[in-house]
Amino acid sequence: MSKETPLLPIEDARETALFFVVAALCFLAALAALSAKSTYGAARSWTSEVEGELTVSLPGVDRRAAEAARKLIEGTSGVREAVLLTKEDIAELLAPNFGNRGLPDSLPLPQLIAVQADPKASNMGPDLSRRLTEAGYDNAVDEHAAWAGDVRRMLGIVRLVALVAVALLASTAIAVVAFATHAALLARRDIVDVLHLAGARDRFISALFERRFWVLALRAGSVGALLALGAAAATILAAQSSGARSGLLPELSLDFVDLLILVLTPLFAGLSARIATRITVMRALKEMM
Amino acid sequence: MVFAAISPITVLADGRKLMPMTHSKHDLFDDVAVRLDSVSLSYDTSEDILSEIDLVLKPGSFSFLTGASGAGKTSLLKLLYLSLKPTHGDVSLFGRSTRNLTRDQLSALRRRVGVVFQEFRLLDHLTAYENVALPLRVLGRKSSDYRADVEELLAWVGLGERLHSKPPTLSGGEQQRVAIARAVVTQPDILIADEPTGNVDPEMGSRLMRLFLELNRRRHTTVVIATHDMGLVRQVEAPVYRIANGLLVKDVEFSGPAGRRRADPREEGV
Repeated sequence: MSKETPLLPIEDARETALFFVVAALCFLAALAALSAKSTYGAARSWTSEVEGELTVSLPGVDRRAAEAARKLIEGTSGVREAVLLTKEDIAELLAPNFGNRGLPDSLPLPQLIAVQADPKASNMGPDLSRRLTEAGYDNAVDEHAAWAGDVRRMLGIVRLVALVAVALLASTAIAVVAFATHAALLARRDIVDVLHLAGARDRFISALFERRFWVLALRAGSVGALLALGAAAATILAAQSSGARSGLLPELSLDFVDLLILVLTPLFAGLSARIATRITVMRALKEMM
Repeated sequence: MVFAAISPITVLADGRKLMPMTHSKHDLFDDVAVRLDSVSLSYDTSEDILSEIDLVLKPGSFSFLTGASGAGKTSLLKLLYLSLKPTHGDVSLFGRSTRNLTRDQLSALRRRVGVVFQEFRLLDHLTAYENVALPLRVLGRKSSDYRADVEELLAWVGLGERLHSKPPTLSGGEQQRVAIARAVVTQPDILIADEPTGNVDPEMGSRLMRLFLELNRRRHTTVVIATHDMGLVRQVEAPVYRIANGLLVKDVEFSGPAGRRRADPREEGV
């Protein structure tokens, strides 16, 4: 005698449809989780890059006066480094607007000093501006952290939205499995009745359905996670090519946490399906004699 | 018989064996196998299908249940095999009221009851062998422990060559024999059969009756058979209960070839 036939029939069309639904939900949930994680990473990357950075603009002064101002700045408490930008540096910064042929000689450019200060130093922008003014410099101090805060807030909202999406998609997957379990239970009522009358305990019957939906969700979750991996890889490749050109996007890559999310997706799907199935079956069986 | 004396395996009249029991028979010494106290049953809000039924079946008894089609035989059997709860009254098995049992306790009682359903209720995706072995799988027995016994039982009901056939490919009579084999495979304390010989020829009907009698006489299984077949009833000396107008009456105290004796209406349980 070969291996025992499962007490629930192998598969039917409903389960194939359920497989695709769960796979799609897992794909979306994994993508949303990866998005939440990557926006968190992006926010950290962006803010860590710009926090403590300031740009001091000195209009109408020559390079010697600007060098004196740089020394004044570098001597300020909390400043780690101050670099007077060359005309080439400025041309590179403005390349997105003026192209790579260099800046027109007629363009009046201020002297620019890039300042790297201790991110924990408070009130650095106004302090520098006051000291430069007292020294007779007309100046403008741009504190990068000011707009980095906006970016951080925006990314925080994106992350929250992504997490809500993960929660909603997970809930939807659980609800779909519960619904499918109930349908399967009704469709297999004849089998359930026979098992009951043969003395099967509720746990025995529930285990049959749990095993079925655990395996289904595990497989569907794996397919969804693999698709999400493909989508994430494609996004990273696209971001790396365009981000490298614009300098606007942080460097994206798949790290351990991303892979953990992808590995956990099918496990979470399987476990959720199992729990949803158990609750549904046990509740339905209680309504039967 | 020496084999039978040293082994829990039952040897049938024709020398064939039945497998060991799956639980203790200590309840054989209970006074009552089945007791119905003022049991009524109605579906939804309609009038009672069964009304104020009292019934006592002693362990090791053999009874027939008759009645016109739609009289409520199957409903009464459903109450006995715990598929339905009575609307009023109480059903007790082996001296235990089933009214307040937990679901696990109900399952434990059901394991002691074998049922042959009128509509067979075989699982179409399982083979004949697997259908018969189903109650043993439910009990958690290993297939290596029961394989030979199940095959032997199927051979005994004439299906030795159809072990691997699935119900849709079996005739009505073959399906019925699979259903009977499934009901007796655990050697239950109570065997309830709803029209168990309705689809088999008279020779096979007699053979199946012998199986029920062997279980009854050798294992002291309480047997209740619902049937229209008076030929079947006449094969065995056993009390005959009849359902009419929702009431249960002991129509004949003993059927069988020796003749029919009217029931004493004062007898307990009727």
